[in-house]
Amino acid sequence: MRGFAHVVRAEVFKVLRKRRTYVLAGLWWGLLPALVLFVGRLVHVNFGGTFVDESGGIALVVQEIASPYGIARIALIGPAYVSPTFYMIVVALLAALLIGEERGHAMWKTVLVAQPQRFPVMAGKVSVAMLALGVLMLGAATSGALFGALGTTFLPTTWAGDWTGLAWLYALQWAFCLAAVLFAFLMVFLFKNIALGVVTVFFLPGLLEGLYTLYRATVGFEPVNRLNVLFQALRLQQRLEAIPQYFFTSNLYAPARSPVADLVRAVNTGGGEIPQDALGQLLGAGITLPHAAAVMAGYAVVFGILLFWRFARHDVE
Amino acid sequence: MDHAIAATSLTKRYGRVAAVDDVSFEIAPGEIVGFLGPNGAGKTTTLRMLAGLIRPSRGEGHVLGQRVPGNSLRDVGTMIEEPSFYPYLSGRDNLRHAALLHGGVEPGRIDAMLAFVKMEAAAGKRVRAYSQGMRQRLALARALLWRPRVLLLDEPANGLDPVGIAEIRENLRAVAREGVTVLVSSHILAEIEKLVDRILAIEKGRLVFDGPLERLLARAEALAYRYVLRATDVEALERVLREAGLAPERAGDLVAVEVDAERADALVSDLVQAGVRITEARRESDDLEDAYLRLVQADARPA
Repeated sequence: MRGFAHVVRAEVFKVLRKRRTYVLAGLWWGLLPALVLFVGRLVHVNFGGTFVDESGGIALVVQEIASPYGIARIALIGPAYVSPTFYMIVVALLAALLIGEERGHAMWKTVLVAQPQRFPVMAGKVSVAMLALGVLMLGAATSGALFGALGTTFLPTTWAGDWTGLAWLYALQWAFCLAAVLFAFLMVFLFKNIALGVVTVFFLPGLLEGLYTLYRATVGFEPVNRLNVLFQALRLQQRLEAIPQYFFTSNLYAPARSPVADLVRAVNTGGGEIPQDALGQLLGAGITLPHAAAVMAGYAVVFGILLFWRFARHDVE
Repeated sequence: MDHAIAATSLTKRYGRVAAVDDVSFEIAPGEIVGFLGPNGAGKTTTLRMLAGLIRPSRGEGHVLGQRVPGNSLRDVGTMIEEPSFYPYLSGRDNLRHAALLHGGVEPGRIDAMLAFVKMEAAAGKRVRAYSQGMRQRLALARALLWRPRVLLLDEPANGLDPVGIAEIRENLRAVAREGVTVLVSSHILAEIEKLVDRILAIEKGRLVFDGPLERLLARAEALAYRYVLRATDVEALERVLREAGLAPERAGDLVAVEVDAERADALVSDLVQAGVRITEARRESDDLEDAYLRLVQADARPA
């Protein structure tokens, strides 16, 4: 246990001295909420009181996106939508710092002499990555609320919102990211080239999911070839068609994407129905939080076992 | 605990190639032992196994009475191959990180070690700006940070100029005076000769010598002697030596030649009988390098 605590202290020391930590914090804590506030201001100034605002919906839109609650919520949602997602960028950069650099700077031989028990070393590094991610997310929520508070001075916004629900979603999203951290650590550890490891973290899940989708779209699971006959014989067809429910990326961002439906509904000032099919992917359709939690726990167990097993047997050359 | 370091049939194979093959030795607490061998002989692989960095294919290593890898490695300081650091951290911060990682390093120890290796002035600079010599000295400071009872040093003077080599040697002597057990590998034999009492020599993964320095020198001398000769007719001297099956090396009017121990006593008289007028004959004493090379060439087996 003392070894674990020593590793955590040492790695925190290192993370705090790395410039990229502050760049990530600056983007998430400063740039994102400032941009959202700016957009809220633009919407308010340009559309408030115009023909678009006949039903008085603009004030509601501004409240949903630029209030303290609104910005804090977008700081959770937004990073799950760019590609590669900001969550994955953070996780990959932490993996590069905490795992990749040990190989890149030939530091494993130093680390593993100062702290020869390998399990506490890896457990400490995973914990520090989760701690750093947690601090970044907490800071994003706090700065979002603070920027929103600033906005209340010149926008028709209030502090209203489901803060408890939002805090729960933040906590869930943070917990779900454990699987992503373990996956990123594993990839960066397995690849001798850090950049290749990071690229793999960004694109491998998407690539595998894309290949599945392509296969399903072009060949499908009808018995048109021997492989599919085998699938049918084994009654695997239904299970194979359900695979997207278990995709890494669909489930990873379930907490962050779950408030999007509310947000879209709120800003849909026209009052028409939201086309569920078109927005299905955007809204993370068909994936409930308990299901996603179970799937991500499974991924975390698999990636964790592989990572710790591989690290324990690794020869430091 | 009888031995600070012990290797028992230590073997590391990479496929069919044995990088280290059945190496066994024991080092008593407080001993300073030189680990000799040419590049690729298996020195670094042996040290890595003793430091718990790679797993032996067979055999085992013990440090301070415990099997490696184990908690006793927390009492070990190492410098293995090129010294490595986080280049974006200063020298002081690199030591601080290592101290945090290990734990239990007393306050003031970092400054004391920086002073010991004469690195106080540069301690605040980022390591990426350090010269090779500065990195070597900082690596030694880090190896000593938690007051290790055993030091495993792999080529600690690699890439250093003569002043740097002398400084590292002095530092190691000071450490040894405190009773630290040191196993130091090098292929710069002069560096070892002035530091250690006992030699382990490894060649092609196998231990070819284990004993005191004097015994290595004596053993090498028993294999062959090196003579330096001067004659009135140098060409004739060279010709006679070649006819005798020897390999003379000429340098100006001097000729150097290596002779088997059993033929050495008769060398000069044989030359005189062959009509060569010898004006000077000198037998050179071996230094460690000569002795080691002779040992390796003779493909000697463990003593």
